Amino acid sequence: MIGKRKRHTHVVSSSTTSEDDEATATTTNDSSSHDIFRKFFEAQFQPLEAPEARITCAQGSNDEHDTDEYEESEPESEWTGVSEDGHNEVEVVEHHDVSALAKESTDKRARKAFMTAKPPSFSVKPAPVKSSPSKDEDDGDDAANLKNDLALQRLLKESHLLESSSDLAPTGKNRLKALDLRMQSLGAKTSLYSQNMPSSHRRGIKAKAEKKDDKRRREARENGIILEKPVPKAKPSSGRRERGVGGPSIGKFAGGTLNLSKRDLSAIQGPRRSSKGKTRGQGKTRGRR
Amino acid sequence: MATSQPPLRFTGHKNFVYRLVFATLTGRTVHISQIRPSSPTNPGLAPHEISFLRLLEAVTNGSQLEISYTGTIVVYKPGLITGSGAGAGSGGVIRHELPAGCNRGVSYYLLPLCLLAPFSKAPIKVLFTGPGVITSSTPTGDMSVDSVRTAILPLYNQFGIFNNIELRILRRSNPGHNGRGGGGEVQLVFGHQVRLPKTLHMMNPGRIKKIRGVAYAVGVSASNNARMIETARGVLNPLVPDTYVFSDVSSAPLVPAPEKSNPSAKKKIGLGFGLSLVAESSTGCLFSADVASPPSGGQAPEDIGKQCAYQLLETISKGGCVAPAAAATMLGLMTMGSEDVGRLQVGRDVIADEGVIQLARDLTKFGAPGWGLREAAGENERGDVVISVVGRGIGNVGRKVA
Repeated sequence: MIGKRKRHTHVVSSSTTSEDDEATATTTNDSSSHDIFRKFFEAQFQPLEAPEARITCAQGSNDEHDTDEYEESEPESEWTGVSEDGHNEVEVVEHHDVSALAKESTDKRARKAFMTAKPPSFSVKPAPVKSSPSKDEDDGDDAANLKNDLALQRLLKESHLLESSSDLAPTGKNRLKALDLRMQSLGAKTSLYSQNMPSSHRRGIKAKAEKKDDKRRREARENGIILEKPVPKAKPSSGRRERGVGGPSIGKFAGGTLNLSKRDLSAIQGPRRSSKGKTRGQGKTRGRR
Repeated sequence: MATSQPPLRFTGHKNFVYRLVFATLTGRTVHISQIRPSSPTNPGLAPHEISFLRLLEAVTNGSQLEISYTGTIVVYKPGLITGSGAGAGSGGVIRHELPAGCNRGVSYYLLPLCLLAPFSKAPIKVLFTGPGVITSSTPTGDMSVDSVRTAILPLYNQFGIFNNIELRILRRSNPGHNGRGGGGEVQLVFGHQVRLPKTLHMMNPGRIKKIRGVAYAVGVSASNNARMIETARGVLNPLVPDTYVFSDVSSAPLVPAPEKSNPSAKKKIGLGFGLSLVAESSTGCLFSADVASPPSGGQAPEDIGKQCAYQLLETISKGGCVAPAAAATMLGLMTMGSEDVGRLQVGRDVIADEGVIQLARDLTKFGAPGWGLREAAGENERGDVVISVVGRGIGNVGRKVA
């Protein structure tokens, strides 16, 4: 019975690796004559330790059972001998830290964010992963194309308005300006912004805007906020504005007639020689001369 | 700024920098006497203190300094904090050279300078250079430059000061032989000046959510960094999974060391390694720890890493919203804030610290109203204390005039 047990354990240990299985098989073939002798011997006396069992023990199976057997076989080790050296290889086990390899990719970005000259802002979110919008089927494609086309055209036309604001849908003043542009492109005669109004109104509007800006700047200065530099104002031209060539040098030519205003007339006539002496200053002295 | 008020009188060399800083901010003249009067070998001001006075002189306009013959008495009459406006060196950068005998880290200068900077008239740009710049933490108790950048400067954000602040570490250096000197180079740019810092209410310490750190090796093998990081992570990772420690390796700085035979000789200085760790809580409180190899050497990187990790844990365990190293900065800024009550929750051990108590006394002397202390509300098993600080409402004098 004990002999059977031996065989059993031998089979189990060899089944762990296929290589071992083959190896043990060859050894049994080689030592078939040994086997016959051993069987005979075991039938006569007590069961012997198989040389194979010894090898499996040397291969390092940690089964307690096997080691016990090894110790059992110890006294007969001289007899069995060590014939197969190839099975005494040392098993090498390498442990890799998987997490260490995985973090390498994120490491660089985090390093870039942290190891700068600036104090790290701890609330930095990881860069959003751009999710590509899922493509629709052909049904909606045409409509979408048209829509995109329109949006692109508008963007091209109105891109100069978008300098300050980053988003594509303009808001506030920019929206109104964009709307104005669209109306003009659709055939509006004049822009919304070139209204005809009395000059006093226009001057009032300008003055108000100026006042507003002035206040904003003053308050900023008082609070120590630095604003952008004021845009240099266009200087009101001091002299007469350049007229076209061939126009009348005096008066206003309209409807085939040259109209002279009172001022023009007085300019032509020169300083009046007043007999009453009511004029003062230079005119008077001239008059006396 | 001319004050007819008599100078405030202080004694001793402790809290020297903050006394001068608050003198500058409040415009009061100070008279500090008995500076190491009984030291037989080095009475009077130490090299780093002299250097700090020079720095103050550089960033202010019209300040007057009088140092007694033995150096045990200083009278400082502050001027206006002008920063590096027009005509201050090349490109407006003030170049500040630290002497070779300096044994304090450059954070000794950076922390008070940052406290002055928001109240300056122009942006403050200072380049610290010379044979005395130690960027690592030092045995004298200064934090490393990395900790200043990652644990102190982000705090200014809470006071509404966040624009254009940079701390460039151009060259690293550990303390040199005997802990004196180094060859580092650091540039501070503080470009956000305010009239008054915002009133702060920090009552919730939150929970630690991430830990970051920098391991630096100067002139020694980079494997030291890896070893420090390994052990530090071994301690911290089970507690906070989001732990990253970055490694920075640089060569040793060369400083001129002229000899008789070779006047252009240079020597390597400031070899070593160290670790700086910063923990951030969910409410934005920062805690930092710093350990560097001692100048005499003989300590394994594993020890440094472990020590630093434990130091970080200790700092966090003190509780409150403020680490002891940042307390002076926070309380100083709150005092300089608008005339409003700001509240700050701190750990019992933090406020029981000698430096913080001295700071409170000095501030009272400078005319700030006293702090109100009370137990923190809510479940407060650690016995945290809430400090109520009333701002002085002086703020930025330069801004007011301009």
